[in-house]
Amino acid sequence: MTVNQNELLSALVDGELQGSELDDVLQLLHTNEQARNQLQRYQRASDVLHDHSLSHHHIDLTDGISAALQDEAKFTVSTVSKKPAQIIAFPTQFWKQATSLAVAASIGALAVVGVMTQPQNQIVQDPQIASVEVETSPMVVAQTGKRWTIEEQEVEERLNSYLVDHNEYAGASGVFSYARVVSYDLGQ
Amino acid sequence: MNVDLELVQRVQAGDKKAFDVLILKYQQRIVHVITGFVHDPVEALDVAQEAFIKAYRAIPNFRGDSAFYTWLYRIAINTAKNHLTSRARRPPAVDVDAMDATNFYDAPELKEFETPESSLISDELQQTIHQAIQDLPEDTATAIKLRELEGMSYEEIAQVMECPIGTVRSRIFRARDAIDKQIQETMGEGE
Repeated sequence: MTVNQNELLSALVDGELQGSELDDVLQLLHTNEQARNQLQRYQRASDVLHDHSLSHHHIDLTDGISAALQDEAKFTVSTVSKKPAQIIAFPTQFWKQATSLAVAASIGALAVVGVMTQPQNQIVQDPQIASVEVETSPMVVAQTGKRWTIEEQEVEERLNSYLVDHNEYAGASGVFSYARVVSYDLGQ
Repeated sequence: MNVDLELVQRVQAGDKKAFDVLILKYQQRIVHVITGFVHDPVEALDVAQEAFIKAYRAIPNFRGDSAFYTWLYRIAINTAKNHLTSRARRPPAVDVDAMDATNFYDAPELKEFETPESSLISDELQQTIHQAIQDLPEDTATAIKLRELEGMSYEEIAQVMECPIGTVRSRIFRARDAIDKQIQETMGEGE
């Protein structure tokens, strides 16, 4: 074993081989039993420094594993690489039917959305809700202890405008508006 | 270069010799992991061999999402558990976290299975290695400490020590060689 060969083995332990050195190491380890032992000793010292627990018996499983795998076919690049995705071509008739179906579904969906939106818009016109828009009291918004209190005019106005906006948009989406219940409690 | 990944890719391309190197690198750790489940050392060797064979067969599916050792570690643990189940023996109730493999520490659950003899050898080995590092010239000792204890790459060590990467590599090798000789002297090992 030369110094250069041992240095290669040391670099292998650190994963710091360059260029074609891996080929050289593979060749060395394949042909030189002493190199295999040396690699294991370097590796063991490194593992101990990393606090890995090791088996302290001299082990070499390579022969047994090689013998067990002798009859197995070597992998090839095609074994490993993924199969190319298959492109499925649909007949022209399929696309015509699919287009018709898509148009019909769109019209149906529009109709449903229209029906759902209509009653919600009416709720927005409720006089109780409208009255909040003019609610500008700078004093306590609630006195029951279950709601927040606001003493700043500007903050309250901003919150009120948020609530009104929220009501308008939430009503349109068909979702029950939690904010409506909270904000108009005082006015009732 | 991620050497493990490079070796895996070579195996995937049909180079069986590359798999031998992966075995050489990891067999002692894998046998130790398996011994944590299968307490008989001879049986543990058989299970370790089976785990490596399974790993070889599964290697076309390895995509490099985790470190190779982490992947191998999981295969080893599953093989050991299956072995115990097939022998109608109960696998350990406490599971072993695969993340322990990547965090560079073996699972504490496995350390419990160390025998007094193996603990003694571990301690002696640790002391010998640390003593060998203390006896090294300062630049060599610094290089090996930065590499092994701080986990720095050669490039990072070269920056810290303000020297070429080739010098770092050479210093680390000299340190390893000195440690190896010390282990052989102290523990009566060698060729």
